[in-house]
Amino acid sequence: MANTKKYWSGLDELDGTAAFQEIQSKEFQEQIPVDKFLADEKLNSTTTGRRDFLKFMGFSLTAATLAACETPVIKSIPYTNKPAEITPGVANYYASSYYDGLDYANILVKTREGRPIFVKGNAATGLGAGKVNARVIGSVMELYDKARLEGPTKNGEATTWSELDAAVSASMNGNGRAVVLSNTIVSPSTRKAIESLGAEHIQYDAISYSALREAQAASFGVNAVPHYDFSKANVVVSIAADFLNSWLTATQFAPDYASLRNPNSGSQSKHFQFESVMSMTGTNADVRTMISPSEEGKVAAGILSVLKGGTVSNLDAKLSARIKAAANALSGSKGESLLIAGTNDLSTQTIVAAINQLLGNYGTTIDLERPSQAYRGDESAAAQLIADMNSGKVSTLITYGCNPSYDMPNAQAFNSGLAKVSTSVSMNGVADETASRSTFVAPDHHYLESWNDLSLRAGRIDLVQPAIEPLFNTRAAQESFLVWSSAENSDWYTFLRSQYNAAYTLDALYSDSDWNSAIHDGNMAGNDVSESPNYAAPIETSLAERKVSKVTGGDMELVTYVKATAGAGQHAANPFLQETPDPVSKVTWDNYVTMSKSDMVALGLNTYIAQEDLATVVKVTVGDKQIELPAFMQPGQKPGTIGIALGYGRGSKGEKIGQAAYQTGEKGQHLMLDSGLPMPIGVNAFPLTSNSEGNTIYANYDVNVEATDREYPLACTQIHNTYMGRDSVVRETSFDSYLAEADKPKGKASWNMAHALNVHDDTNHDGVIDARDKENTSEFDLWHSHPVKDVGHRWGMTIDLTTCTGCSACVTACSIENNVSVVGKDEVLRHRDMHWIRIDRYYASDFSLEKGEEEGVGVISSYGLMEDPAENPQTVHMPMMCQHCNHAPCETVCPVAATTHSNEGLNQMTYNRCIGTRYCANNCPYKVRRFNWFNYKGNSKFENVNPAHDSLARMVLNPDVTVRARGVMEKCSMCVQRIQSGKLEAKKSGSAINDGEIVTACAEACPSNAIAFGDLNDTGSQVRAISENNRSYHALEEIGVQPNVFYMTKVRNVDSNEA
Amino acid sequence: MQKESAIREPLILGHKTYKDITDDVVGPIMGPASLGWKILITISSIIAIYGIGSILYLISTGVGVWGLNKTVGWAWDITNFVWWVGIGHAGTLISAVLLLFRQKWRMAINRSAEAMTIFAVIMAAVFPGIHMGRIWLAYYVFPLPNQFGSLWVNFNSPLLWDVFAISTYFSVSLVFWYVGLIPDFATIRDRVTKPFAKKMYGIMSFGWSGRAKHWNRFEELSLVLAGIATPLVFSVHSIVSMDFATSVIPGWHTTIFPPYFVSGAVFSGFAMVQTLLLVMRKAYKLEDYIHVKHVEYMNIVIIVTGSIVGVAYLTELFISWYSGVEYESYAFINRFSGPYKAAYWTMMTCNVISPQLFWFKKIRRSLVATFILSIVVNIGMWFERYVIIVTSLHRDYLPSSWGEFIPTATDVGIFIGTLGIFLTLFLAFTRFFPVLALNELKTILKSSGESYKNEQVK
Repeated sequence: MANTKKYWSGLDELDGTAAFQEIQSKEFQEQIPVDKFLADEKLNSTTTGRRDFLKFMGFSLTAATLAACETPVIKSIPYTNKPAEITPGVANYYASSYYDGLDYANILVKTREGRPIFVKGNAATGLGAGKVNARVIGSVMELYDKARLEGPTKNGEATTWSELDAAVSASMNGNGRAVVLSNTIVSPSTRKAIESLGAEHIQYDAISYSALREAQAASFGVNAVPHYDFSKANVVVSIAADFLNSWLTATQFAPDYASLRNPNSGSQSKHFQFESVMSMTGTNADVRTMISPSEEGKVAAGILSVLKGGTVSNLDAKLSARIKAAANALSGSKGESLLIAGTNDLSTQTIVAAINQLLGNYGTTIDLERPSQAYRGDESAAAQLIADMNSGKVSTLITYGCNPSYDMPNAQAFNSGLAKVSTSVSMNGVADETASRSTFVAPDHHYLESWNDLSLRAGRIDLVQPAIEPLFNTRAAQESFLVWSSAENSDWYTFLRSQYNAAYTLDALYSDSDWNSAIHDGNMAGNDVSESPNYAAPIETSLAERKVSKVTGGDMELVTYVKATAGAGQHAANPFLQETPDPVSKVTWDNYVTMSKSDMVALGLNTYIAQEDLATVVKVTVGDKQIELPAFMQPGQKPGTIGIALGYGRGSKGEKIGQAAYQTGEKGQHLMLDSGLPMPIGVNAFPLTSNSEGNTIYANYDVNVEATDREYPLACTQIHNTYMGRDSVVRETSFDSYLAEADKPKGKASWNMAHALNVHDDTNHDGVIDARDKENTSEFDLWHSHPVKDVGHRWGMTIDLTTCTGCSACVTACSIENNVSVVGKDEVLRHRDMHWIRIDRYYASDFSLEKGEEEGVGVISSYGLMEDPAENPQTVHMPMMCQHCNHAPCETVCPVAATTHSNEGLNQMTYNRCIGTRYCANNCPYKVRRFNWFNYKGNSKFENVNPAHDSLARMVLNPDVTVRARGVMEKCSMCVQRIQSGKLEAKKSGSAINDGEIVTACAEACPSNAIAFGDLNDTGSQVRAISENNRSYHALEEIGVQPNVFYMTKVRNVDSNEA
Repeated sequence: MQKESAIREPLILGHKTYKDITDDVVGPIMGPASLGWKILITISSIIAIYGIGSILYLISTGVGVWGLNKTVGWAWDITNFVWWVGIGHAGTLISAVLLLFRQKWRMAINRSAEAMTIFAVIMAAVFPGIHMGRIWLAYYVFPLPNQFGSLWVNFNSPLLWDVFAISTYFSVSLVFWYVGLIPDFATIRDRVTKPFAKKMYGIMSFGWSGRAKHWNRFEELSLVLAGIATPLVFSVHSIVSMDFATSVIPGWHTTIFPPYFVSGAVFSGFAMVQTLLLVMRKAYKLEDYIHVKHVEYMNIVIIVTGSIVGVAYLTELFISWYSGVEYESYAFINRFSGPYKAAYWTMMTCNVISPQLFWFKKIRRSLVATFILSIVVNIGMWFERYVIIVTSLHRDYLPSSWGEFIPTATDVGIFIGTLGIFLTLFLAFTRFFPVLALNELKTILKSSGESYKNEQVK
């Protein structure tokens, strides 16, 4: 029904009276007295006064100005449909695995609001107790690298996947030879995906262990890298194998090795190291002997000879004695020992295999039945491939998981060959050396975006699961293989699932409960196929012995090694890793030539490196190659040898591999070469390696080193090398001395005496007050104690100097967990690194005040001599962070009470209140406080290094931790955010906090369990037990600051007379 | 009126009358500025502007523009602070302590010494401000009521004591100085003819009429202020020294610091007075009022305080050995034999050896030698603070953290800049303020004026 109702405003309208009509036609019902107003005579005389004018002006100006200001709009988009598992503010963890051809680890990925922010070891089900190293922890940063390719490219220009697929498929189907070149693939499904391509598959490793494998093949019939079980090796003799850092899958070895190092068990393994460069492993050795690389084989032969009852010949007396000692230790621990060699020389590895066979280690500490699947690279095939490429026989080359243009020793030949390949495809995620030279780049996902299965050893499959949707238009490499092979179903996830369940279909996403639990754990059982090595086969070593005896070195020999932070170059653009100091040299952001002091003095090089004391650049000539690098004085370096780290000199042609991969100058700008390209960090040492019987030797027995007149700054976080005899800082003893007093109560053993002061009181009750009346420092208290002892929680930490290997995983973990600012080389050079935890590395000195007194050297000169480390020093690694003193010197001096003591024993920083006087840092005896000298997240000096600068890299920051403002002090908080969330969890579940539920990032990252964290008031806690152990002590106990961090005396398994 | 021995050297030379004194002091204020003054103030203000620019750069960019680092958290900033505070000691000592001891010779020098004090304390106060990471929150150091509940300053912190000590010292010194200026401003007011100047001096003289009651109150107030200021002379630098003495850092943690710092401060303060007055007396032709006798008296103070400082240095060395504390002994061995030994030996030479030259009467009474040595002393005193701060910090407990400090251009720029600001202020003072306490001087004209003494001898 149509609405015909009409409403009237009144009767007048209804009637339509004339009066109403008139009113209706007017705008205003009543006449407005405009004329009257205008006719007002006074109107002309009114003025706008000057003051009123200024007021109006001022108002208008202000209003206009304010209107012109743009309020920054920060877009935050809420979930329309919130995923069930994501609660903002609560982290989710996903089990996954890491493998990059060098490191292998089972990990947990921490995600917040759907973005991965932290990687830690999968302690529950991981291999090697789920331990990781600095490189694995740092890898999360690379997910957010701005340099990552955002999609497929052709000749450097963006293209589409379909175009790329068409071109690659066409090339593959053409007549030429198609080759897939990759690193060792340990993923069974990936191998199948590559096989489906029907192309030839060649694997090579950036760090090759081909000789080790060949030696096993020749001796025992299994062509594989064995699995080494360090948890059973009571004697370890390592000939230049850096097995705690980079030798094979070192992440698996460090925890096993550490498990036998703790002297509290009453025994301690013995570790001999023969090496040229001071490696991280070498710094942990009980007995370290300096040898030249050319002597490695001779040492092995010498050990074999001694084990067979012979003697050592052709080597100097000291070395021979050490060889005998090592051999005797080995033969005293048959079946429970390990001899390993880092070299890739077949003869040496053959001798090593023979020794281990002689010792009965095969089948006990060495396993070839289930060998490692890693490092299966075939050097001869790779060499043949390069030859074929150069002769134009290869038409399609797909490179996957590797960067041969950079890390092949003959990369130049590879590159020239690559140019002759008509269709070259790289699958690398950034346009690196290989990718930028390839026709196509089909970027693979970052591993945190990928599915994969990995199998390091038969019987176990580790799974890789994505923790985030792919950020860019990248595609899983395996999916690319499947697409190019024209497979029916090219979906990689379906392919992967169907490997384990042939009936799997995409619709059955959640049907497979076994798969889901495997994904939850990060691993599942795999096909347990074992090899059948013939451990008893006789090994003929005479030829090998003859060969190694003929190896001679020149005046100067070169060793190339893998650094704990740079790896084989994969992490060149990772600012967290670049800024993590090398565990041994403490140099950040750089590559250098390590040299012995005597060689440096002979060449007239600068041995002291500091802010304005620059390193001298040396020219190293290897055959026809010449490189220039700064020289760094490395104690423990065998005179007559030099060392250069691999993994540097990335992006030397200006490839866009990430802005942190290039050198920055004083203002943070990229330094430029004369060619206009950004200056790479260091030089690539892969071409400097040599070759023996087709195997790459990571050394060169004859090189030449000359000084140049150029100088170069090296940013070193520690410029002083010895601990100056300050035994209240570092306490160490030998294993036999430890055993002799192992039962003494804390503070009484000669190697860990409590610090006592003379008092004017008859404390020893002998009736007289004299110098024998002493009282422990802990009894003296200037202040009232904080009421934290046995009240509530009292968070504390213990650090065992015996098991700390110095690996620096804790440093990287802490930096990422706590958003520690990366400050770049120039700032580190100015001693302004921001690390909350650092590892102090002290070398022993040959000199001491006592020795000075004996020799009649004055005190002043003695102190001078004590600054010099010994030629082959013993080393101590001492992790140092805020000690959370109960009588904290920092707390009393802050004028505004910005740093205070919590009632749980933490020394806490209130950033908001801090005005930045730095008095606390000055008054900190441990020098662990870090000041925000600049606005690191905004100052352009840091834009090339600090992740907080770009919106992508910023995603890695931990939202639970404040990014500190300019001008405030910061320091270790004992991961207070983790303590708080642990307490909340316990509160929610209504239970007490169990020991081990709350753990700091450093303790969690420690591969050797040297760091423990917990509640000192909890009588059952690990830290409480350790703090009461007689090896524990407070650093600088005598100043009475009463830290909550305990150190444990370092025990070396050496005879007290050789300690 | 006090009688003074006739054979004692008169304090006012020349046959001055009361009018002469007024003319000599007020004359330069009324006349046009000299060319020399114009050149000097141009140079000093350029330096001052450079310094202010450096400070603005520092505040806008961050403390990182200095050469400080994780090991050495204070260097030139606090060195300059302590140095300037030290210089600021002479003025109050001269006007307050010497007033209480009725040392009439102070009258010729107290006005400019006090002005120097005020300006030096202003310069000193710059550094604790700008050394803060967040200077915009500097008000946190004041115990202000706030909305944060129990948030309060930390009364345990020596830096907080500094805040109170310096601000008290500054305000008392300022009042004392200004009270002394009132009768002199009145004299100028009565003589100047330019209306603006007359009005300004009129305001500044607070309506002084020279009545007996005014004089009476003036004398009483001066005495009371002298009584208040005297303990401050000792407390300020004692408290500044506690910034170091109460810490745990070897080389700082020293009980000898309060007296050692106070005598060092007087030492450097007098040296600065010498430097400035020797130039000023020449430029303003005040040779009759500030003459060799005054210089000699001040040199004697320098010998005494310099020797106390020297004894303190040696005591420190002895105690570091005698204590048997390895950190302490190393800190001092490092001072004289470590990387910063040049600074240490500069300090030793300038502060311990050079003032001993004043034992020779010829040197003590030589204006040229005094001028040179006064500068040497202040160089030495700067290095003293530098040595204490930097060499103690750069190698403390853990050798792993041992580092070094290398100053940047901004470090230097700000220090030089404060010298420029200080000189600018001082030059302005000499131009517009009576540089001698002329009314006070008149009180000793008859007892210690040359002509009157001559009459007595006749």
